[in-house]
Amino acid sequence: MRITFAIVAVLALGVCAPQYGQAQTSPYAGKTITIVVGYKPGGGYDATARLLARHLPDHIPGKPTIIVQNMPGANSLIAANNVYAVAKPDGLTMGTFNRNLPIAQLTNVAGVKFDMRKFAWIGSAASEATILAIRDDLPYKTFDEMKKAGKEIVIGATGPGANTYDFPLLIKDLLGVKLKIVSGYSSSSDIMLAIERKEADGRAGSYTSIVNFIDRKLVRPVIRARASEPGIEKLPVDEDLAPNPRAKAIMALRSAPEVIGRPYVMPPGTPDAMVKIMRDAFAKAIKDPKLVAEAKKTKMDLNFVSGDEALKVVNEVMSQPKDIVDEFSKYIKFGE
Amino acid sequence: MIDPLIQGLLLVLQWKALAFMLLGIGLGFWVGLLPGLGGATTLALMLPFIYTMQPAEAFAFLLGMHSVCATTGDITSVLFGVPGEATTAAVILDGHAMAKKGEAGRALGAALASSLVGALVGALALVLAIPIVRPLVLSFGSPELFMLAIVGLAFIASLSSQGARGMLRGFAAGALGLLLATVGQDPQAGVARFTLDTLYLWQGLDLVPVLVGMFAIPEIVDLAVRGTSIAGELPPGRLNKGAWEGVKDTFRHFGLTIRCSLIGTFIGIMPGLGGSVAQWMAYGHATQSAKNAEEQKGFGQGDVRGVLGPCAATNSKEGGALIPTIAFGVPGSTAMAILLGGFFLMGLVPGPDMLTTYLPITFSMAWTIVLANVITVVVSFLFLNRLAAITSVRGTLLIPVILVLVFIGSYTANSNYGDLVVTLVFGGIGYLMVLGGWPRAPFVLGLVLGKIVENYLYISMARYGSSWLTRPVVLVLFVVAVVVILYPLVQARRTAARRGAHA
Repeated sequence: MRITFAIVAVLALGVCAPQYGQAQTSPYAGKTITIVVGYKPGGGYDATARLLARHLPDHIPGKPTIIVQNMPGANSLIAANNVYAVAKPDGLTMGTFNRNLPIAQLTNVAGVKFDMRKFAWIGSAASEATILAIRDDLPYKTFDEMKKAGKEIVIGATGPGANTYDFPLLIKDLLGVKLKIVSGYSSSSDIMLAIERKEADGRAGSYTSIVNFIDRKLVRPVIRARASEPGIEKLPVDEDLAPNPRAKAIMALRSAPEVIGRPYVMPPGTPDAMVKIMRDAFAKAIKDPKLVAEAKKTKMDLNFVSGDEALKVVNEVMSQPKDIVDEFSKYIKFGE
Repeated sequence: MIDPLIQGLLLVLQWKALAFMLLGIGLGFWVGLLPGLGGATTLALMLPFIYTMQPAEAFAFLLGMHSVCATTGDITSVLFGVPGEATTAAVILDGHAMAKKGEAGRALGAALASSLVGALVGALALVLAIPIVRPLVLSFGSPELFMLAIVGLAFIASLSSQGARGMLRGFAAGALGLLLATVGQDPQAGVARFTLDTLYLWQGLDLVPVLVGMFAIPEIVDLAVRGTSIAGELPPGRLNKGAWEGVKDTFRHFGLTIRCSLIGTFIGIMPGLGGSVAQWMAYGHATQSAKNAEEQKGFGQGDVRGVLGPCAATNSKEGGALIPTIAFGVPGSTAMAILLGGFFLMGLVPGPDMLTTYLPITFSMAWTIVLANVITVVVSFLFLNRLAAITSVRGTLLIPVILVLVFIGSYTANSNYGDLVVTLVFGGIGYLMVLGGWPRAPFVLGLVLGKIVENYLYISMARYGSSWLTRPVVLVLFVVAVVVILYPLVQARRTAARRGAHA
């Protein structure tokens, strides 16, 4: 009897609580939340975090202040280790890191001191649609023509671990297209310039970073990875062209984290109530017309992925059989 | 051409744009003065504030702020020997040496006046280069950029002291710099090199803590050991009168100032060379202007030409860096990459349109650079002699303040304790180099150019095999590099011959 009463009481509280003067009881009233970004100011991860910092408070009861703290280094491993083990799980710290951290964990990169599955996942703010684009004045119009021609195509890249390098590497080695990957360019815009002066024939990268040059008819997209965006839905997908299940698994593993392109997490052990508030706020903020308008202006393509879905992707990555992981590690290194 | 030029000026002179520019200048002034906190970071932080502005207002705000940073960064470098920005480290060598001789006012006057000249040249280049920018930038592929970096390294010959021993030391220091540039994850195989099993070194050595340690720490030690003020025991009366002398110096060596401005502009136009290269190449060129071995020795001891060169180049570089940003949408530096975000925010797409439809806005940027620099220099002149008086403050009072600035400055690089360790380690190395008479400039040049040399050499070989060696621009640059290396030898021989003739 007493137990039933307790259950009823808890349920009643749970149902009623949100209705009773949220502002006063919200754990976030008068607090300051810190978003830890694993990169220096100026990049995409940082810009997204700052955009969210401006709009998230409108959707959190109690309207807390949100500040952004940059903690760069080791492709955001330093920041992830910090949010995992050092930051207090009091709901006042949120982290956003390199989307490939699950891969770093999977391939046992030295320095990983976290378990991506144990973070309190808030969600992801965007997907990274990776494409390969080649110079518009080349004779090949489609991926098929490019593959059949058998002529060497020079692909400019920044370095291993970046999608400018990894995506074409798998196309070359697993789909048998004659690509020559030249890496060492300092940024993706540097590669674009190399394409403009015909030093490189093409490059891979996020659709958002290439779309301007597609519009200018400098390059044309020929193939994409799993994550899509309006405008490139009809491109062939690398996984669909895989000659065997093994190759398919490796390509799928590379592109899995791209679905959670701007991941947001809280330290493990953050109280469920706070995680829930933040998840709801995150979902609402990304669809907030004010935020959408601002994102559109800066050419940021946002795309909400819930915390549960994000965790599912992480679990999918982490549950790969050992032989696939070994094979995968031969191609892909964690970096950038 | 004239019409949009005037339209551009009118855009900047609207009261709102002007107000935002003044606000930007005010911010940039402090950002430049404080070591570590860089122009690029501040741009990123200020970007959200431009949402509601018109394009001309937004760029007046952002560019006004940015173009002032380098100018006021020179002030910190000259007064304290602490680089106010990573791009103003080269000024320390002679600027701070002048401050120690009691010529802080003159050094500051020279720094500001040459900064202004540099900024004007850069802005003028921005306007003039518009028709030829595409072929110019496109003719510089990876092999050409590699050779350009080699020309940069060749300047080590002029940055070292004369004689076989001096050259050996200079090139050894340069080699050490090149070697340390390899620290971090390499971009070809993804291997972590010399990271000592730390995560901190994955991204390589950060330039800010290295420079701050290398230049600031030895000066602080020196100041503490001497137990006097920066300017020694000189009567304070003399300090207050030098600023105007510095301005005159700028015009006394006007040819050099212009040449260094052109070097800066050119480096700025080339995307991928990075902002901190220009100052060192300009400094190297400035030392070439020494007429004999005696003068050559004077560099590093407080020769005003060592101030004029880098200051002019650092400021002209900004106008140059805007060129590829506007014309191609390819930023020439980190700051420009962030500014590019500002373009999108304003609904402007960098590219050919900026040179036709939006030409007035493009010109308004050139005007902003000009006006912001003129205002800063004029305002700074009001304080200049007061600022110079800081060098007569007792060292024991100054050292704690400088130390705080040094460590906060390096910590802002990555907000990591590693930054402090790097500062201390390179402070130690820098101090030993000063004691042993090893030149620090070649070391920094090697460090700054190391990544560029490595990557562009790799790309050139991978893309062209060995055939890139015969490309015309590569050959021309090769000849330039040889001339730059041999120049000090020729100079030494000529001096010896002249002396022989006299005797």
